Amino acid sequence: MREDIQTIKNEALAQIMEVTDPSELETLRIAYLGRNGKLNEVMRGIKDLEPEERREMGQTMNEVKGAIEQELIYRKESLKNNTTSTFDATVPGIKPQIGHLHLVTQAIEEITDVFKQIGFTRVRYPEVEWDWYAFGALNMEEGHPARDDWETFFMDTPTHKENGEMVLTPHTSSGQTREMKRLQTPPVRMINIAKCYRRQIDSRHLTMFHQFEGLVVDKGISIVHLKGTLDYFARNFFGPNRKTRIRPYHFQFTEPSFEVDITCGYCLGKGCKLCKEGWVELGGAGMVHPIVLKNGGIDPTKYSGFAFGWGVERTFTMKSELSIPDIRMTYSSDLRFLRQF
Amino acid sequence: MNIQILHSWLLEYLDTNASPAKIGEYLSLCGPSVEKIEKKGNDWLYDIEVTTNRVDMMSVYGIAREAAVILPQFGAKATLKPFHSIKSQFPKTSLPLTIKSNDKLVKRTMGVILTDIKNWKTPDWMKTRLEASGIRSLNAVIDITNYVMTEVGHPTHVFDYDLIKSHTLLIRESKKQEKVITLDNKVYTLPIGSIVIDDGTGTIIDLPGIMGTKNTVVNDDTKQVLFFIDNNDPIKIRKTSMTTGIRTVAATLNEKGVDAELARIAMLRGIELFQEVTGATLASKIYDHYSKPYTAKTITLSKSFIDERLGVEVSKNRVEQILTDLDFGVKWNKDNFTVSVPSIRAQDVAIAEDVVEEVARIYGYHNLPSELMTGKIPEPLSDAPFPFEIHTKRILQGLSGVETYTMSLVSGKEVDPKSALKIRNPLGSDNEYMRTSLAPSLMKAAKENNGEKDPFHLFEMANVYLPKKKDLPEEKMMLAGIFANTGFRHAKGIVESLLDQLHIEYVFEIEDAMYYVPNTRLKILSSKKEIGRFGQLENGGFYYYQFGIEDLRKIYKQMPTYVQIPKYPAQVEDITLKLHERIKVGDIIKTIYTNSSLVSSVELTDMYENAYTFRISYQDLEKTLTDKEVEEVRTKILGELKKKFGVTIK
Repeated sequence: MREDIQTIKNEALAQIMEVTDPSELETLRIAYLGRNGKLNEVMRGIKDLEPEERREMGQTMNEVKGAIEQELIYRKESLKNNTTSTFDATVPGIKPQIGHLHLVTQAIEEITDVFKQIGFTRVRYPEVEWDWYAFGALNMEEGHPARDDWETFFMDTPTHKENGEMVLTPHTSSGQTREMKRLQTPPVRMINIAKCYRRQIDSRHLTMFHQFEGLVVDKGISIVHLKGTLDYFARNFFGPNRKTRIRPYHFQFTEPSFEVDITCGYCLGKGCKLCKEGWVELGGAGMVHPIVLKNGGIDPTKYSGFAFGWGVERTFTMKSELSIPDIRMTYSSDLRFLRQF
Repeated sequence: MNIQILHSWLLEYLDTNASPAKIGEYLSLCGPSVEKIEKKGNDWLYDIEVTTNRVDMMSVYGIAREAAVILPQFGAKATLKPFHSIKSQFPKTSLPLTIKSNDKLVKRTMGVILTDIKNWKTPDWMKTRLEASGIRSLNAVIDITNYVMTEVGHPTHVFDYDLIKSHTLLIRESKKQEKVITLDNKVYTLPIGSIVIDDGTGTIIDLPGIMGTKNTVVNDDTKQVLFFIDNNDPIKIRKTSMTTGIRTVAATLNEKGVDAELARIAMLRGIELFQEVTGATLASKIYDHYSKPYTAKTITLSKSFIDERLGVEVSKNRVEQILTDLDFGVKWNKDNFTVSVPSIRAQDVAIAEDVVEEVARIYGYHNLPSELMTGKIPEPLSDAPFPFEIHTKRILQGLSGVETYTMSLVSGKEVDPKSALKIRNPLGSDNEYMRTSLAPSLMKAAKENNGEKDPFHLFEMANVYLPKKKDLPEEKMMLAGIFANTGFRHAKGIVESLLDQLHIEYVFEIEDAMYYVPNTRLKILSSKKEIGRFGQLENGGFYYYQFGIEDLRKIYKQMPTYVQIPKYPAQVEDITLKLHERIKVGDIIKTIYTNSSLVSSVELTDMYENAYTFRISYQDLEKTLTDKEVEEVRTKILGELKKKFGVTIK
């Protein structure tokens, strides 16, 4: 019986909402609430119930009657005011104040996700680092011309006997031998994302920036695997149409070393004004130098590996084609900038 | 380092049918990176990046040598043309020259004296080529030295022979505080141990490999010249050049180790040009001091090593073909082979991996397949901080926080210089220290937005750097935030919401401290341990909070403990109390809570002058409370409040 009452209620409310002509409301009122209306019809069964149940049912019936009456009145009013036709839906909504995650955070999350899917572990190594990890272990002894590429900040602290001077790490590559030592035996599949610092500043270079460093060490790792990883990243981060290529380059800590290019996002490799014959530079990569493996405590006659390290900011702006004119804006706290992302 | 060369100059040594565009493309894929090809009249100018290990390519001839190997891989015709063999008339008797060399400092010295210079004007073809390469043309004699360097790749020098009265060149190391006046008339004090040339009387007459000196430089009165080539110890050259800041092209080449075998080619080419261009005649034999001529280094490796690193199998023939094209010698012993390295590549080819690179790049990286590695995946970090960090950031984003990244390097005003790491070579006094707190940075960030009239909340998660004795600093990940254009309760509410969403139990404790407006600063404790702080900053009046991320991570819960939803309705009532000035609302709420287990929640719903309205919910999980039961609790609470705080009920 309770169910019957609820059904009648729902049916009534639905019909009332459909009404466009006020006279129809009266018809509905009689049909549901009238002496021979649907509710009273059900009420006739009440006398067969136990007193306790009877009281409860009476209460329900009254509630339902009240609800239907209320709806009839409301509908009548709204038809009278004819609000439906004058309501202005073009009025702007009131938006809640929303928060924003920084570009760099979003980029790091996306990069991490892509590499996580192929078994890379994210780590983070010191920003204030020993010369040994930043250079020495990477086959760059002091005074080596290759160090010129890394304009480095030095700390005003005493030199450590074995580890040398304290520096602000100019690249995430300093995590390479630290990760090898942490794991001790391959496989290594690291993605190291951290702040890096270089002693330079202009519209294309920042004193502080972020890099992500990939490192894979295992038995039989080859250039083919590096290419596979780069292509996997390009497809999943930049889009399914993008391809990469590697070209000869030189770094002290990889042999051979590569410059990595990706097909231009605008022309997809055909060649346009924004790229070099269809390609844009992504960053450096290479096969881990045997001396680096040795410094990480790994036997280079048994294992080989590859590594790559690129700027987070640059990679992300390339993906989103944000065309931020001055990369220094990335580290501005101007809300007009931060709220765009 | 980059080198600019004209296409026409390259063709002097390269016979090819490939267009400049194709040459650029092919070289970039397998060798030096051609960054730009520019049309220059009827000619083309290449701008080529040469990596620091390949100083052998820093010349027209060096690029031609690479191109002759690379271009045919793409089906283009290309052959290297040899240097001209010159027919020179050496005199029967030579003008005197004594070279007292030092094998520790120089590998080779070569010199020849030329006399009767007829023409000092540089011919147009030479001027055009040099200037396209970014070298200023001065006069034919000087220009020949630069022309030879650019073409052959070995720096050369020319002295006024008559200014070397002793006709002696003594090569030695500089002593303490020795000074030179270079040919551009600048005075330098040399670092001790620099390579110098002395005329035998103690006077320095050249800074070899870097720059000539004023006392022997060719000038308008020069009649006879000494054309001189020295091949020096690269480490010493670099030290002197870096210390004095004399960064000539010669120095940047010499510090990377130029092949001493090239000296002879450069010498012969120089003599040819002196005769052709200036009409000079030879006045001596070639003085050549080369005590240890190059003997080929060898590297032994297996072909399977090459295949493994490349990831594909390359035939024996192909390996041998590539290496011999590049002038390497190859000797097989079954699957193993020994590679002998030509002098020109001795600088960068030393280990088996270097041989892999040579084979791979000429085979073509673009011809290798692309496949992901198989094999075991390492165990992920067991206790990685990253998921928590992003979780916290997302909560703050949900609470309308705007994330910012500010510089880790700050000025001495933003740290206590005694307990902060200092940078020895900062870019300026604004970035001299590693920060020990995020507060000054965020204050700056908030002030940067003083045009903003609406409330805002900036937050940052970043390391601070706490110095340690004789060790790397502790890099402590902090979370901090700043609020502007808002009130205390709104700001505090966000901090509370953050902790609620991290399911951290916490209490606040008032504790005044420097930099905060009195009575506004709160310590945030969990299980009696301080995890953070909140308060109003004196500077700017902003509200500020900070937490140690690891403090939060240790105690947060990803999921709360489930609490039974009450079956029975709560009784809710509003009570307005009048509080004396010194009474803390926090204490009132705490007292209401602790007085009866039936109080399920207490909220402050209104404040007006000294009248505070609290909404109290009474709840029994087992039954619906009767009015009488609620009254009992209420009476008890109010009694306690009156006794403890002297409140009155409105």
